[in-house]
Amino acid sequence: MNADLEKNFVAQLKENQNIIHKICRLYTNDADAHKDLFQEITIQLWKAFPKFRGDSKFSTWAYRVALNTAITLFRKSTRSIKTVDYEQHSYFIKQEDYNHEEEEQIKLMYKAVYQLNDIEKAVIFMYLEDKDYTEISETLGISEVNARVKMNRIKGKLKKILNP
Amino acid sequence: MEELDLLKKDWKKKENSFQQISEVDIYKMIHKESSSTVKWILILSILEVLIWSIVSIFYNSDEYLIKIHSEYLIQYFQVLTIVNYAVIALFIYLFYKSYISISTTTSTKKLMKAILRTRKTVQIYVWYNLAMIGIGMVIGMALAFNTNPEIQNMLQNDKVYYLTIAFCIVALAIVFGLFWLFYRLVYGMLLRKLLTNYKELKKIDL
Repeated sequence: MNADLEKNFVAQLKENQNIIHKICRLYTNDADAHKDLFQEITIQLWKAFPKFRGDSKFSTWAYRVALNTAITLFRKSTRSIKTVDYEQHSYFIKQEDYNHEEEEQIKLMYKAVYQLNDIEKAVIFMYLEDKDYTEISETLGISEVNARVKMNRIKGKLKKILNP
Repeated sequence: MEELDLLKKDWKKKENSFQQISEVDIYKMIHKESSSTVKWILILSILEVLIWSIVSIFYNSDEYLIKIHSEYLIQYFQVLTIVNYAVIALFIYLFYKSYISISTTTSTKKLMKAILRTRKTVQIYVWYNLAMIGIGMVIGMALAFNTNPEIQNMLQNDKVYYLTIAFCIVALAIVFGLFWLFYRLVYGMLLRKLLTNYKELKKIDL
């Protein structure tokens, strides 16, 4: 019974692990922290799995629990921004060819997003994942209007970080 | 915002480019221990109870009470001890319950509320312990002053009497302060990040 559950969980998580990786990427700034957060999320997901009823997709459920873990339960994350480490934002990512013109700008953008606070990162994550405001507001437990306002403020904040 | 669109494009492009973690590694992970804050609160509270219990084993108030001829107080102290343990057991149960319930909520704000409720419980627990320490010390001193013949002899002198009382009050304040600092540091460290994030969410919702 428990072995079945475990097998089921491991298979589903393996299938959907990219969404967890993406969250780790926004919330951590080096490969070790990425791994640590991935592990913590996996543990929390496994603990929560018996309560997963399947009324939503595994990936949807998983990213919500994962975001909450990143926001509330994870302690080890490095607070300071290590520029040197972050230069290589492609950690944990297989080498691929870049468009070198855009590369620099994207790098700066990732760096800017990394400076946002945990809640703002969650909003950005859902924005990048094409979640609508209903979903964002439900996940965070705030109203839809407030989610919109928040998104606009984040855009402003990012602009300020990019063009100080 | 143009840069954000660029980021999104890059985000989507790299969606499937993460180093994949194998099933074996996931198996290993789910058998590892969590490092979550709430868990540490649970561990700390159990440790604390253990420490208090050890202290009370080594320090047997009964002998002292017999020595100062206040045997009638023994049963009061026993009742107090039992009540104290009952209260502490209740706190551990509360910590455990919140630890179990916290890992699964899907709404961030609700989750934070739950964790902060745990924090409140911890705070009440801390104040309860501090109050018990304070009351214990005051009772101890009052007993010593009133019933211990050696001390009573020593306190014949008015000057010595007031000096002793002043000294006791200062000592009490220092011990109290140290405990307070200790609790603040330990639990404060655990909960600081959480509180910051909660304030952020609350700010959005206002």
